[in-house]
Order: sequence, then C-alpha cells, then structure tokens
Amino acid sequence: MISRVAESCFWLQRHLERVDSTARLLEVNLSFVLDVPIPVLEAWRPLVIVAGEEPRFRELLGEGALEDGEAVQEYLTWDQRNPVSILSAAYWARQNARTIRETISLEMWKSLNSFWLWLTDGSGRRLYRSERSEFYRRLKEMSQLFRGICHDTMLHEDPFDFMRLGMLLERAGQTARLLDVKHHKLGPSAPVARETAVEFAHWQATLRSCSAIEPFLKKGRSVAGVEAVDFLLFETTLPRSVRHCIDRAWNFLRRIRPPAAPGVPHESSTLLKALLDHVRGTSIMEVMHTGIHEELTYLIESIGGVCLAVHRDFFDPAMPDAQWTPGPRSS
Amino acid sequence: MTTEDRGARGAQPSSAPLLDRYAPLPGVYDEFCTAAGAPRPDVARVVGLLDNLGLAEFRRRQGLAEGAFHEGGVTFSVYSDQRGVEKTFPFDLIPRVLAAREWAALERGLVQRVRALNLFLEDIYGEQRILHEGRIPRAMVESSAGYRVAMRGLKPPGGGRVIIAGIDLLRRPDGEFVVLEDNLRVPSGVSYVIENRGVMKRVIPGVFQQSRVRGVADYPIHLRNALTSVAAGVAPEEARVVVLTPGPYNSAYFEHSFLARTMGCPLVQGTDLFVWQDKVYVKTTRGPRRVHVIYRRIDDDFLDPEAFRPDSMLGVRGLARAYATGNVALANAIGNGIADDKAVYPFVPEMIRFYLAEEPLLPQVETFQCSDDGQREHVLANLARMVVKEVDGAGGYGMLIGPKATKEEREAYAGRVRAHPRAFIAQPVIELSTCPTWAETQVAPRRVDLRPYVVTGASSTFVLPGGLTRVALVEGSYVVNSSQGGGSKDTWVLEEEGVR
Repeated sequence: MISRVAESCFWLQRHLERVDSTARLLEVNLSFVLDVPIPVLEAWRPLVIVAGEEPRFRELLGEGALEDGEAVQEYLTWDQRNPVSILSAAYWARQNARTIRETISLEMWKSLNSFWLWLTDGSGRRLYRSERSEFYRRLKEMSQLFRGICHDTMLHEDPFDFMRLGMLLERAGQTARLLDVKHHKLGPSAPVARETAVEFAHWQATLRSCSAIEPFLKKGRSVAGVEAVDFLLFETTLPRSVRHCIDRAWNFLRRIRPPAAPGVPHESSTLLKALLDHVRGTSIMEVMHTGIHEELTYLIESIGGVCLAVHRDFFDPAMPDAQWTPGPRSS
Repeated sequence: MTTEDRGARGAQPSSAPLLDRYAPLPGVYDEFCTAAGAPRPDVARVVGLLDNLGLAEFRRRQGLAEGAFHEGGVTFSVYSDQRGVEKTFPFDLIPRVLAAREWAALERGLVQRVRALNLFLEDIYGEQRILHEGRIPRAMVESSAGYRVAMRGLKPPGGGRVIIAGIDLLRRPDGEFVVLEDNLRVPSGVSYVIENRGVMKRVIPGVFQQSRVRGVADYPIHLRNALTSVAAGVAPEEARVVVLTPGPYNSAYFEHSFLARTMGCPLVQGTDLFVWQDKVYVKTTRGPRRVHVIYRRIDDDFLDPEAFRPDSMLGVRGLARAYATGNVALANAIGNGIADDKAVYPFVPEMIRFYLAEEPLLPQVETFQCSDDGQREHVLANLARMVVKEVDGAGGYGMLIGPKATKEEREAYAGRVRAHPRAFIAQPVIELSTCPTWAETQVAPRRVDLRPYVVTGASSTFVLPGGLTRVALVEGSYVVNSSQGGGSKDTWVLEEEGVR
C-alpha cells in the first residue's frame, strides 16, 4: 500500500485511542474524587502528567489551575492548544480519515464524521455541561463503535493491520504511562495488609481506567499495588495489558512484513521482537527488584523506538539511488 | 399549476400539492411547465408524482436529504483561508427531468463534439492540417495559454487525449440545448451526480421507482475501463491506475477520493510518486511499484516542476519526461487547454465539419472575439447586454455579467479587455432555463445548466445518462457555480417507454 496512506491508517487509530483513553481516565477520575478524600493537587494533576502535558498546561493556565478539576477537564477535553486533547485527537483522527477515504470503508467514514459533527456542533458541549460522566461514556462508546465497524467492514489486509498496529502501540504506551504516574504518586507499594483505604481506591481507579477491575477480580486477584501492576503489565488475556498489546502488535507487524520478505529493512521487526521477548520473559518479581519506574521507563521508551522504526521502515522509506533497480514484482 | 383530483385534502396547507402555486418566469423556458403553467407532456408523469408528495412531506424529505450530505461529509472546500473550509454542496430535492428521446439526441451531439475535439488535439499536436488549410487562424492557437508547444509531435500512450470531458449546456427560451463551453482538462462534479442519486433513492424511493430513471452508478467502472485501456505497454488488467490529487485542501478533494474509492484504485499525492529512468513509481510499504496510468486532477502548470512551473509543490519531478517517453498515460493529456480555450470555442463547429465531414448536431452560443477590433468595439458598446469571460477562466470567476454589473464595474472591466484583448470573449446574455426549486418555504423557478460527462477509452465511448444539473439558488441569479451560491439537482433521464 501507499506509504502515506499507511501512515494515516496508523495515526488514525492512534488518535482515536487517545480519545478513548483520555475519556476513560476522566470518567474514572470524576467518580474517584467523589469517593476519596485526597489533597486537591493529587486529584487532577496526575491526569495532566499522564497526557505528557504538564509543562504546557502550567505555561498556559498557571500552576494553580492544576488543582482545578474543571480547568483540567476543560484542557484535556476541549483545548485546541493541547495537541492530545480529546478535541485535537478527534480532529486529527478525522483529518487522517479524510485523506484516506478511498481506503477506509464508507461506514467507517460516516461513523467518524457523525462523531466529529456531534462533538463540534454543540451537542457534545451541551452533554458535557449537563451530564459529564455520560459525555465521557459516549466518547468511549463512539471510539469502540468505530473500532467495531472497522473490524467488520474493512478488508483485513495492510491498511487494517497498520490501524491495529497504531492502536496497540498507543494503548500499550498509555497503560505504561498510567502505571508510572500512579506509581510515582503512591511510591513503592506497601505490603497488602498495610495499604490504606486511599491507596486501595487509587489502584481500583487505575484498574477501572483500563476496564480491568472486573477481569482482575475474575482472575481471583486482590486489589493491591503489586498485584495490579502485575496484572496491567503481564496479564496475557487482558486487552489493555502491555503484554497483550505487544503480543498483538507483533502479530500485525508480522502480517504486514512476513519474516522472510527479502531486501527490505525491518528495524521495526527487530525492535518489536526485542520488546516482545522482554515482556514475555520478565516476571513481576524481577520488576520489583529492578524498580517499577525503571521498568516502565524502559517500556515507554521501547514503544517510542518501535514507532519511530515503523515510520522509517514503512512511511518514509529511502528513495532509490543510482544503483537501484526495480524488483521483479515492480517492473 | 393546480391538480384537480386533490379534493378536500387540498384545503389543508400541510398537504397542499408541491407545485400548487408554482409560476414560471415569463420569457424563460421552464423544465417542468409550459408558459401557460401546464406540465410538459414529456415529463408530466414525474411532475405529477412529485406534486402528489405534498408541500409538507416534501419539506420534511428535503431536510432528510440535507442531513444525509452533512453526515456523509459530501463536501467541497472554499479557499477562504489557507486550510480551506469544508462546505456541503447545497442540494435541491426536485430533480431535473429529461425525456428519453431528448436525451438520445443530446447524446449523439455530445459524442460527435468530443470526437471532433479529440481529432483537433491530435492534429494540433501533430500535422496541424486545420491550420495549414486556414480553417482556424494559426495565431489563435499559438497565442493560447493552453497550448503546450513542447508536446508537438508526441503521441500520448494509448492515443487518448480527452478521456474525460464535461460539456456545459444551457437551454434557451426556445427549448433548444446549446453548448456553452467545453471542459477538457480536469472537469469535476461527477461525484455529486452519483451521490445525489444515492440520496434521492433513499429519500423519495417511491417517486423514483415509479419514474423509471436510467442509472448512473456504473460511471466509475466505465471510467476505470477507459483508463486501463490507454495504459502503455501493459495489458489493461495488469495496469496500475492511480488518481493524483493536489491534496485534501483542494476544493474537489471529496471527488478525487470518491473516484479512487469507487474505481478501487489508490489516491496519491505528488509526493507519493517519483520518476526513475523515465518511469513512474509509487512509494509503497513494500517498496516502489510501477504506475501505468495517472488520472490526474492537477492542472498542466503544476504537474511537473521540471517541465512547467518550477515552484509547484503538487506535481512530480520528471513526470512530463516519463509521459513523453510513452511510459505513463495521463488522463487527460497534457495540452488539452488549447481545445477548451474559450477563444477557440467558436471554431468547434468548423472542427466538426473539417474532421468528421458532418454538420454539428448541437448548436452553440454566438461568441465575440475581443482580439478582433470590430468585434471588440461591438462588445464594448453593448456591454450591458453581454457576458464577458476570460478565455481560460473556470468556476464562474473573473467574468462580467453585463446586466447585473454596475456602470463602474463595466467600465473597469472594459479597461481590462482593452489591455488584453486576446484574454477575453463575450457572449450575449442567455435566458437559461429554470426548474422548480425549493426556496426556503415554497417552490420557485431557479436557473439551471447541465454538464454531461463523456468518457472516451481506446475503443469505446460512454456518456453518463444525464450529468450534473447545477442550479442558481439565489433568486434572479445566473451563476450556478458551487463557489458562488450554486447548488445541484439530480438529473433524471427517463427510460424509453416499454423498456421494462
């Protein structure tokens, strides 16, 4: 497929994944702050950090706004100056879709376009004002709807595979960032028996942000820091665990570029395979030993490295030099 | 127009017949009614069906149709800022209807005209017989901005030059169709024809079914077949066809993507292509792949910075070389602008006689050449009754509509004409026909034109039944361009009686 189109597929789903994960975080936090008596600064600031937006937020809105739940929600939801706000991510998702309308299915386009119109024609704003949680639930549902339509109406070949690849890498990174911020705030986890009610609520909220609370309980785990970290990092059957996302991303990358494909660069395969081997071969005990923050930093940086390699391998391939001759299939 | 069989229902305003109070303009041909206000016999059945929908129901369905375009993102961009703003193309639910017989005659005239124009281009970039024999002044051709002298002697791969033509027609007060202009470079609008039809079928299925209308959905298949038929040095089924767009901020981007999608071929931008050893390749995730045919939606000037405008960011360096070498086919060919130059237009009937030894089947509009001293003086003396246009203009920009302009505007325009006479032609104002059109609360006569599309492959020609009907939505306006307050209607060509 055309390199530029592949890049748009990749980013289309990454942006939508951001809409989804930001909406999840905000929805969960809304209920979390009602349940738990915590310092105001601890209530909303972590969300800005997860988004990687703390410096810009401070600069635009000032230090004090970090304590202001409304300001944080507004910034993460509507602010166009925030490149990863829900509005910005939705805009870029639609722009990417618009440039590849011939590639995606008509149903996908219509679904995304209706979503965009709803978000921008005042309807979304009204719901945001009147029923905040419902608003975030709708956002989540719309991105789920889009993914479902995508799965059911597109050919499962390269464009689809690039979309899934983008989505899974974004999701793995998002889970890792979320854990990192929570870990920072709570510090190294205490033994289960000594965990406070506040910590308990924190971990519960973290799991809920990843739609993982019920799966967690179904697997017979008890809510505690180490258990939650283990589950979100390494549970093979959890759709938002890092392990699961990397496993699946590897499948899609292998479909895009079968291992035997000759004469083409595959830096992305090498890097993703290394990351895969790492998450498959690491246990939570080892992570506790080396340090959670160190582990999460490694994961976040590796995922970033894979994304760059995907870009180099597929979206911006080197042009032929004087010696280049077209292969047999391209002549 | 009134309908007698409505009885008591007619008393309620909500169920009033749609065309109850419709009155055509005096001195103008109306597509639906005679001057006396009666439905024209050819289209009376369809008019009756629409009328029976009733005003309230029609209004509801017009709203549904508008919603469908909005949701579908059927848009064009307006160059009001750098990014371009997407707007939906206003759509009017009342179709323009053409009887089978009338369409058949138009179709013959269109095919004849496009054949002659193709032969003219072949000749101009070849032997130039028509100039040697003095049938068209040489200076007229050589001074045209659309003439690409570098293309002399080059035969395009596959032979085709005007693969896709859009011929703009008007209907005069006497009911006769006349050719207003030819679009032989990158005619647009066909995606709206197909989208309009899709919406009509959803919104007024009953009326549509009973009207027995010829389909338009197979246009992309015909276009793809024509494009693969001109591929150079490769079998049609092996040919890789791409649609080349300037990008998502172009006004017709929706159409570019629509055509790529419905033909099942990639939509590319200039940066997706490169030329290596005079062959064109597309960058893919599995390495470069050869391209055989480019349906380009970029003007000649921007196609190749090496051959034409060096500042073009949209084109592909070396593309003109690849084309000249015969390694890639372009649709349409480079240099077609000479044949749709408005100053060459008056000679099209002559081309038909010269190349085909036939009389033109379609009349055209009387045209004055401002480059001719006598004609120019006549135009300037009668500016208030003239439409003056730039010879290479499009989109309704840069023209003067004499009767609608102020005295100051006319004087300023006259100055431009005197400064660059070759750049202008003039035509008498034509009272183009009207069609009943929804105007906020009621149905009113609005002016329409018609752009049929003719697709010419290596060995066959296809005319899309109907084409794009554009409508000037503003009362009294003659300008149908989307960029200037125009909208569109679905065009129904009725099947011949007894076909089904």
